[in-house]
Amino acid sequence: MLFDESTLRKLNQLTLAASRIRAGGLQGDRRSTRRGSSVEFADYRNYAPGDDLRRLDWNIYARLERPFIKLFEEEEDLSVTILLDGSRSMDWPEPGSQDGLHKFTYARRLAAGLGAVALASGDPLSVLFLQGGRVAAEYGPSRGQAALSRLFGFLDGLRPDGLTDLNAALRQALVKPRRAGLVVLISDLLSPEGCESGLREWMGRSHEATLVHVLAPDELNPPLAGDLQLVDMETGYEQDVSLDGGLRSLYRERAQAWVQATRADCRKRGIRYLDLLTNLPWDQALLLEMRRAGIVK
Amino acid sequence: MQFLTPLGLLLAALAVPIILLYMLKLRRKPVQVSSTLLWERLLRDRQANAPWQKLKRNLLLFLQLLILAALVLAFARPALLMPVVASGSVVVLLDASASMNAADVEPSRFESARQVVGTLIDGLPGGSRMTLILVNATPNAIASAETDRAALKQALAGAQPTLGSADWESAFALAAGASRGSPDTTLIVSDGGLPKGLPALPGQVRYVPVGMSSGNLAVTAMALRPTAQNPQLFAEVTNYSADSRTALLSVYLGEQLIDARQFNLGPGENQSLTLDNLSTTPGIYRARISSPADAVLDAFPLDDTAFAVYQASAARRVLLVSKGNLFLEQLLAALPGIQPFRALPDANGALQIPNEPFDLTILDGIAPAELPAGNLLFVNPPLGGNDLFQVGAPFKEMENVQVHDHPLTRSVDWTNVHVLQAKNVPLPAWAEALVSVDAGPLVFAGAAGNRRVAALTFDLRESDLPLQVTFPILFSNLINDLVPPGAFDAMRPLRPGETLAIALQPGIERATVVSPSQQGFEISPGPNGYTFAETGELGYYAVNFIAGGEVKKVEYFAVNLFDPSESDIRVRETVQVGRAAIQPAAAEQAGQLELWPWLAALALLVLLIEWQAYHRRRIPLPPNPNSGFRGRGIRQGRPGGGPP
Repeated sequence: MLFDESTLRKLNQLTLAASRIRAGGLQGDRRSTRRGSSVEFADYRNYAPGDDLRRLDWNIYARLERPFIKLFEEEEDLSVTILLDGSRSMDWPEPGSQDGLHKFTYARRLAAGLGAVALASGDPLSVLFLQGGRVAAEYGPSRGQAALSRLFGFLDGLRPDGLTDLNAALRQALVKPRRAGLVVLISDLLSPEGCESGLREWMGRSHEATLVHVLAPDELNPPLAGDLQLVDMETGYEQDVSLDGGLRSLYRERAQAWVQATRADCRKRGIRYLDLLTNLPWDQALLLEMRRAGIVK
Repeated sequence: MQFLTPLGLLLAALAVPIILLYMLKLRRKPVQVSSTLLWERLLRDRQANAPWQKLKRNLLLFLQLLILAALVLAFARPALLMPVVASGSVVVLLDASASMNAADVEPSRFESARQVVGTLIDGLPGGSRMTLILVNATPNAIASAETDRAALKQALAGAQPTLGSADWESAFALAAGASRGSPDTTLIVSDGGLPKGLPALPGQVRYVPVGMSSGNLAVTAMALRPTAQNPQLFAEVTNYSADSRTALLSVYLGEQLIDARQFNLGPGENQSLTLDNLSTTPGIYRARISSPADAVLDAFPLDDTAFAVYQASAARRVLLVSKGNLFLEQLLAALPGIQPFRALPDANGALQIPNEPFDLTILDGIAPAELPAGNLLFVNPPLGGNDLFQVGAPFKEMENVQVHDHPLTRSVDWTNVHVLQAKNVPLPAWAEALVSVDAGPLVFAGAAGNRRVAALTFDLRESDLPLQVTFPILFSNLINDLVPPGAFDAMRPLRPGETLAIALQPGIERATVVSPSQQGFEISPGPNGYTFAETGELGYYAVNFIAGGEVKKVEYFAVNLFDPSESDIRVRETVQVGRAAIQPAAAEQAGQLELWPWLAALALLVLLIEWQAYHRRRIPLPPNPNSGFRGRGIRQGRPGGGPP
């Protein structure tokens, strides 16, 4: 079970937050920045020829003999797209040894949580599984609580494998959402080229991007020492290294610097960024860290 | 540069197993990680920043190979060729005489000579043998045909200069004997005070002069002489410098200055001082030369001070009671350590025997009714006899002359002695005959009661004995037996290293000697009575005579350098050995300076560095409770994560 009942209840109370509300094809639960036709009053403005006379405030006209148009809040839904990195580097730590820290399991649970929140809000949800430089599997768009079990089934069937060129996969995924919305990428970013150019293209299409950076603790602080031959489980690349105390602490510094640089880069581009270590309980990550980062509210 | 055991270089082959082991060890353990992306960047940057990182990865191997290289080189015993004065089989004669104490070179000539020999030992080629002979009053080989440099160095470190003279003849004999196979080189390390007429030595003889040519002023003689009235002191100062010098000679009795005189001495000149009418009380006289300008007088202070001891008891009081015997009078005047007195006749012409005690009374042709106290020597006793023995009629039959074997007849030769007539004295029970004929004894001696008595039964004027050499010998023996001299002759000049014979007088149980440096010695009896040989220090010694656990008497004797060959500290340009004049040696033979100790030290140092480097790499893993990471082999085709 990805969620127990109490967590699910908490998830239902969350609504995905987006600072800029985009116009949706269907009326949603979400306040749009545009003035619309909902029942919630927003403002007045002077009448201009061609305005819908049904929106004229006759009471004001009777009292002031000047025509004013009543403006109402427009409510809209939010297109939510979750991109899940399915490269082999996500298959870490090795299953069996530390299942609680497994990055892909953790990422799937985050995706399920975010998806559940989106569905509970009535937002259209898509989940794209990125693998081998392309979109290997796709869920949605679907809407409503009824789609939740289908989402869980979809996520359960995913397996991490192969190489991921995140940039290529992101570019391909661009064509999937029909309109601008919220895009959440869940990845370890352990791709030689990174994902900066792909995310930039998403930003160009007025999407609001969020990057959830999932790392296992031993990737920042590797418990290694001695003369080793490191084998990259994704690429098979072999790297000889003689690890002494100096080199290990240097690695720790560099890994932290990499996370900080990624955070700074995201802030510069207007991308929300959240780095999570898998030893943080995933529900706490959903309920606290994501709220704190402004991804949900 | 050469290798003494080049086969040791073969050990360099040990590098092969080291490298093989290292390669085996360096088969790195494969460990799977999620991505090597960060590692690649890190190592790329690191190697770009520090090219030597590549080297550092193999640091331990390099260090181990360096240790091996140093050890292999050490085994091969590399040596630098360096010039030395001697090589091969070497005999070194190291001068340890008093003049080597001169401080004209820092710190002293002997230390300088020690350095010369030390350098020679360092440069001794492998397989060379060295015999080290220390030349002092009794030369001895402190290292004999030794090849071990450590032993040679140790022997050299233990060598010390003495205050005595050097016995070069014995040293040369020792050198000739020590080099059973003929030595390649005999090296004389000295300031050159070698006597003339030294025999030639086998092999090449080389001479390394030590010291700088330097002037010296010395007290070359100081003596006390008892005269009829008061003792007389004689002191002599000699200038061994090449220029004229001025010196102030001060003479002290104890700490009291009794005379001071300034001398202007030309090169090689000596001048003397005589002081008369000194006190008859025993005392220690000290003569010291100093510079009038209060400056340092010379580089050799050992001969600037001399001591002399006046011991009144040394003069034995002997009373001659005779109507006139020129032979005896002259003899007594000539014998050393004797203070002779003569009994004067009174108004009637009869000889008066004074009441004061004498150590010995010689009764020549006279026998007073009451024999005087003390020991007695009868010469030609009058007929009738006395309290001690009977005297019969004279006889002339000198048949079968016998000189009996006795300490008193030592060196007495009676073959040419003729006696006209002697008196017939039956040998008393207490006496032993020393010289006798069939008719009776001519000379006898013995202890009669509490006194010692000796007698000659003939008149000296009726024999030719006084004309023979035996006369003073016999009388010296007799007088020394009758009045034993003092424990020792304090006025005899004694030089460092010489042996002093000490006679313990009756009643004295033992004696101790306190040296000038307040060192105490117990005198032990030797084959020739009690002797004291530890006279290595200059100054005066105190002899304590002990009886019943308390000191009964203290006497003194002095040891002075008084050696012109040692006081003349000028360095000789050449030494004469055999018929050859040996010039100072130049360093012209090839010696070797071995480098292996430095290489061994280097290996040890690198070993420490390697140990440190090894432990810096082997730091323990950090505790990480969130990670149960274990290194594993690569597994292929593993399924993905668990179900969501």
